[in-house]
Parts: sequence; C-alpha cells; structure tokens
Amino acid sequence: MRKIITLTLLFALGIQVLIAGGYQVRLQGQKQTGIGLIGTPFNYGASSIFYNPGSLSFMKDDYSFSGGVSGIFSNVIFRAQNSDYEATTDNPTGTPFYFYGAGKVIDDMAVGIGVYTPFGSSTKWADDWAGRNLIQEISLQTIFIQPTVSYKLSDKIGLGAGLTIATGSVDLRRRIVPPVDGQFQMEGNTTAIGFNAGLYLNPIEKLKIGVDYRSKMTMKIDDGSTSFTEIPTALSDNFPASGNFSAELPLPANLDAGIAYAFNEKLTLAVEMNLVFWSAYDSLIIDFKENNEQLVDSRNPREYDNSLILRLGGEYKISDKLVARAGIYYDPTPTNEDYFTPETVSLNTFAFTLGLSVMPVEGLSIDLSYLQLEGLEDDRMYTPDNFGGTYHARTFIPGIGVSYSF
Amino acid sequence: MKYRYLLYIMIIGLLFSCKPELDEYAYDSGSADFSTYVSLGNSLTAGYMNGSLYRTSQLNSFPSILAGQFAKMGGGAFEQPLMEGEYGIIAGKLKLGYSTDCLGATSLGPVPDDGALDPIASIGKMVNNMGVPGAKSGHLLFPGYAQFNPYFARFASDPNATVVGDAMAMNPTFFTLWIGNNDVLGYGTSGGVGDTITSQTWFAGYVQTIVETLTSAGAKGAIANIPDITNVPFFTTVPPNGLVLNQEQAAALNAALGSLGFQFAEGPNYFIIQDASSQIGFRQMVEGELLLLTVPQDALKCEYMGAVNPNTGAPNPIPQQYVLTLDQIDQIENAITGYNATISAIATNFNLAFVDFNAILKEVEEGIIADGETLTTEFVTGNAFSLDGIHLTAKGYAYVANEFIKAINMKYGSNVPMVSITNYEALELP
Repeated sequence: MRKIITLTLLFALGIQVLIAGGYQVRLQGQKQTGIGLIGTPFNYGASSIFYNPGSLSFMKDDYSFSGGVSGIFSNVIFRAQNSDYEATTDNPTGTPFYFYGAGKVIDDMAVGIGVYTPFGSSTKWADDWAGRNLIQEISLQTIFIQPTVSYKLSDKIGLGAGLTIATGSVDLRRRIVPPVDGQFQMEGNTTAIGFNAGLYLNPIEKLKIGVDYRSKMTMKIDDGSTSFTEIPTALSDNFPASGNFSAELPLPANLDAGIAYAFNEKLTLAVEMNLVFWSAYDSLIIDFKENNEQLVDSRNPREYDNSLILRLGGEYKISDKLVARAGIYYDPTPTNEDYFTPETVSLNTFAFTLGLSVMPVEGLSIDLSYLQLEGLEDDRMYTPDNFGGTYHARTFIPGIGVSYSF
Repeated sequence: MKYRYLLYIMIIGLLFSCKPELDEYAYDSGSADFSTYVSLGNSLTAGYMNGSLYRTSQLNSFPSILAGQFAKMGGGAFEQPLMEGEYGIIAGKLKLGYSTDCLGATSLGPVPDDGALDPIASIGKMVNNMGVPGAKSGHLLFPGYAQFNPYFARFASDPNATVVGDAMAMNPTFFTLWIGNNDVLGYGTSGGVGDTITSQTWFAGYVQTIVETLTSAGAKGAIANIPDITNVPFFTTVPPNGLVLNQEQAAALNAALGSLGFQFAEGPNYFIIQDASSQIGFRQMVEGELLLLTVPQDALKCEYMGAVNPNTGAPNPIPQQYVLTLDQIDQIENAITGYNATISAIATNFNLAFVDFNAILKEVEEGIIADGETLTTEFVTGNAFSLDGIHLTAKGYAYVANEFIKAINMKYGSNVPMVSITNYEALELP
C-alpha cells in the first residue's frame, strides 16, 4: 500500500496553470485593461466580442477592428518553510495577443470574429530547485476563435452570443523522485468548444449595465506524449522513453456583471464583479496509456473554490484626442489551502491598472495599458508532497493596441 | 491599514523593483553559541554509509550539515577526519549492482564496491566531528580506545587519549551527543550471540560522566536518544516466513517433521532456526522474530537452509547468529527503553536540547514525505537507509540534521534554518 502511495506521488503532475493561470487576467483589449479589466458595461468597439457580445451591436460605426499585444513580465520568489532556502522563477515573457473584426449587417445587428489568448502562461523554476519534484517548467498556450452575433433589441437592450473554439497546448517538465531520480516531460494539445453570451443594458444615457457568461470548457488531451529520460537502466522498462497520456482539464465558467456610470461628459466610473466557477477543478487525473507496476495513473487533488473578483475603474476624457484610464481589483486565490503547488503561484492578488488612448484621427485609437499585479506574500503548502513555504509574486504587464472604426 | 501598506509597497515596486522580494531570513543563534561545535557519537555521527566511512559519506554526515547551517550565525570551521578516497580504511563498502544467485537468477541488490583504501594512520590534527564508528557509550571515556579503534586512532591526540578528553581540548561552545546505539546494536547484529548489552547502570554512569564533562566549561548542546534498532532494514528486510513451498514440498516436510509438532502448508512458511533452548536444538520461527540482512541468501535458496534437505532428510536450521528471537528482541527493546529514560533524564537535568529519534524512526516507518520525496524504513526503495541496512543515506542524514535543528531551535530560541532534503542524495540505481 505504501508503495502504491509513493509511486502515485511520483506522478503528482499538475497543469493547473492551464486554467488558473496566475494570469486569468483578461488582456483581451487594452482599453478594458486600462480601466481595471472591466469590460461588460462598455462598448469599446470590436473587443466587446470577448467582454460582452451583447454590447457589440451598440458599436457606433459600421466596421470596427482592433488588435493588440501585451508583455507579461512575471516572477515569483519562494522561501522553503523553516529554511533560508530561496528560489526565484525565471519565467519567459508571455505575449498574449488579440484581434477582432466586426461589422454591422443591418442597423441593429452586428457580426464579428475574435481571435484571442485568454489563458497562457509560463512558469520556469531552475531545474535543480528544491521543488523540482513538483515542477520545473510548464508552458501553456491557448488560442480562442469566437464567431459572434449581436442583436440590438432596442436602444436600451442588446443581446449577443458567440461560439468559442479553443485550441490549447501544454508542455510540462518535472523530476521523478528518488529512488528513480529521472526526468519527466509531457506535452499535449487539444481543442474544445464553448460559448460566450452577453446582455447589455443602457436604461438611461449615463448608466450602462453588462452581464456576460462564458461557459465551462473541458480541455481533453487524448494523445499527449510523455518522455522519461535519465532513468536508471534497472527501471528503464518501467519508465519508457516515449509514451502517451490522456488528461482532462476544466476551464471554468465565468459570470461577469458590471455597471458604468458617466458622471459627466468627461468622467465615467465603473465596477464589475467576476464570479469564476473554479470549483469545477476538483482534481487532475493523468492517465498513462501504458501502465506498469511502477508507472501508475495519478489523481492529484486541487479542490479549487469559486472565486469572486471585484474591480473598480475610471475613465477620464482629457480631450477629444486623449483618454486616460485607471483601475484596481482584488483577485482572491481559488486554490485550496492544502493543495497549493508552485506550478502556478496563484496568490491572493491585488492589482492596479493604467491606460491611455490617443486618437490622432477620427476612428483611429492607439491604446496603451499598464497592469501591475502583486501576489500577496503568503505561506502556502502542497500537503500531498509536504512542500511549502512563503511565496511572493509580482507581475508587470505593459500592452499596446490599435483600433480602427469606420 | 494592510491595504494602504500594500499600495505603498506597490508604488515603490513600480518605481524601483522588478522582482518580488521577501524579508531577509532572520538568522539567530538564540541563547546558544555555535562558534566551536563538536559532535560526539558513533558511526551515525561519523557519517557511516553503505557499510563504510568514506569521503562523500563524511561530507554528508549530519554534524557536517549542521555545521554548515551554524556557520550562517557565528559557527566556526568544522574539521572532519576526512578520508582521501571513497572506500574508507576497511573494505566492505557496498553499492547497488547486479549479482547472480545460485539459481542463476540475476537481480539488483547490494554488491561489494571495492577500491583503494585509505591508510590507517593518524591524520595529525584535531577534528570537530568525533563520531567514532563502533563506539559504545563507555568507549568515549576509555583511555587508549585509539589502540583498539582505527577510526579514533586517525584523529586521537595521543594513543592514550579519550574521545571526551579530546573533545574538551577543542574548548567547545556547543556539542551534539548521540551515543548508545552500539551498546545494544552489537548484540542485535550478531543475533544475540556475539556481544552483550551494556547494563543500564553502566550506561547511565557513562552518559552522565560524558555530559558532565562536556558541559563543565559551560557548553550547551543537544542529545539524541536511541531508535528501536529492530525496525531498521537490517532486521526487517528478509522475511522470516520466506520458506515458500509447493504442496509436494510441504507434504515432504510434514512427513519429516510432523511428528515433532512442525506444520507446513503450501505457500509461505516460517523458516527452521537453531534454538538451543529447544529439546531437539531447532524449531520453526514464529511471528515477530527477525532474520538479519546478513543471512546467506544462497544457502536459503539452494542449500535448504531454514528447511530440510530432501536428499538426506536432515534439517538445516538457520544458525542463531542470523536470527533475533522474541526473547532477544525483548531484551533489546527493554535495554533501549532504559537507555532512553536515562538520556531523557540527562537532557532535562543538564538542560539540553533533546532529539527523540525513537519517535522519529517510528514516523519514518509510517513514511515521511518532504518536498515530494518519501522516506521510509524500506530497504533500497525507502531512500532513508543506505545499503548496510543500518546507516543512513545522505538524504537520511539531512533529515536527522533537520531534527537536530528543530530541537535546538526549540531549546535555545535560535532560528537555525533547516536544509532541503531534496538537495541530498539517496541511493544511486544503476
């Protein structure tokens, strides 16, 4: 029995970064990013395809295009429990991007398509760091494509929905614990389908309300590949150089609701809450296609809780050619107290944002954003591996985008 | 208030820092003084590993690991009687390798790891690590012990020196003392026939004198007690009911020995062992009795040791030096209980940090997980014990060092950081 437990622990693999991403920050529009990542109660042109398809039909012009990219500069420092051992991540820079195009088919109806990367992350610890048995490096890429239709029921109500087609890939490396003491790597990719639906209300001119729901998606990897290297010859039959695995990862549903109020022609303030249904992430099961007495499937508890993100933002029109934005939000960790892994250091996070749009000519907007996240220092533990300590994370995300409407 | 503080940090962070930081670790020696640390004990203190004491094993001894941490808060240099090479001064080192048994089956297990030995000669200097493989409690006080123990001879100041005397010559400010295993282990590893158990009275007297001396100039320290040695792999790896019979063999054995009250059945059976107290000189083992790791495996497999030779009809009981009987186990456990009562009382009387390895080994038996790695008392796969089944791996010694650190921090209000056991090696599989 003990042996089974031990060997199960050998494969306590995790890919929660795929769905938690210390960066489920929605960098899908630089204007929204600048205002605290609030998007549901706005129509910022084509980027509403992501934030609220219901408001897309409220776009002012007949055609709207928007594209942008951000750079994620993120690092985590860790100190082992009761020790002076410290480690710092050496994360590569993440570059999420987005592109949207939308047009009005008729006056009250708009269609569009968005390509964006809502989940994507890289965590890289040193290969020989003390948590190498949990994770050395994980990298994730996802691309979502979302064709969308939006209909304006009246001047006060808009509805919209899109089909979300997601492709994702994950690459993970970690150490296999002694006495095996080998190197493990797995990679896989998959596609999944979901939807994004939104409702937009503009009951009085100064007040805008948005509600958006993005469905849960299950990323099911069927034919991922595994590789074991540096395995002792005595165990090489048990840990093959190449093999296959399958695994399922839920991307949780999101329910967003926001209100924006224009106090005057220049100043708008907005609040938004995002309910993220993280409880969908109960455990991660890695199913090795070819099992043997040493290589058994692993069930890794995660037991996430739903989380509620609260956002506050404001926008100020300095002139017809210049708009400034700022926002703050608090994103509590969805992780379970007993199951915090260094794959994704998802701490209680406090963030602020800054944004600036420059409109040199009619219809053209150059959008800058800056987001800084402070993962609040905390003592965290992954109890199945008895690995824990103090974590502190800090992330800087500058972004630039262009939108054009005509 | 907390958020205002955070906001403040964030603004500073925005301006100056790209990397997250943590407060500096608060190194603190508390009321202890680690400037001159000496360690006294036996092979477990010396860093014995895989049946030998060699350079790498010494570099991973628990006192060496401890001294490395002490050095961060005032600890001075820590000299060890380091070997030059990797094979020690006495042959017998083991490594994991393949061997072929009498049945022609090849399997992975401990095999001799031979190489050039270090000379048995004094290294000509005093050392901080005075762990002497083989030492019993009384040996630390015995003038001339260097003439009997080549490990002590390597660093003794004089052929007539005592270990404790040499320790005091270092003017220690801090010591660790882990002694007493050999006062009972020699009895255990010889199947209760090659050595005697030190009496409780003598043991208490020895340890009292050692600690009195070590603390006489004001040194502080930590003392550790004795684990139940019958739970280490040396005694638990070979199953006493490893006599696996088919129906025919069981019937044959019952025919031969049934009249004497022996019973054999298809499947695993308890081996036949020598027992002088039995009228016929041998009997079957019973549950709870132990076979030693040194029992000749080929004899068990091919020479009917522990069974009856079907060709001659002669029983071939396992000699008693490979067996611990229930009575012997009782004696060992009673001795350890008594020693530990002494050690615990002395720890209290002398106000020393106390490490309860008796309890810790029981935890390891259940399995301990640290940084994803598991330590158990299982042979080879348990990561904690080296190939001799008695001494630890580097990983095991790192765990021991952490337990000392815990006890020292608790006693002296210090904040010595623990080490990460992932950074220490277990056994290397070929």
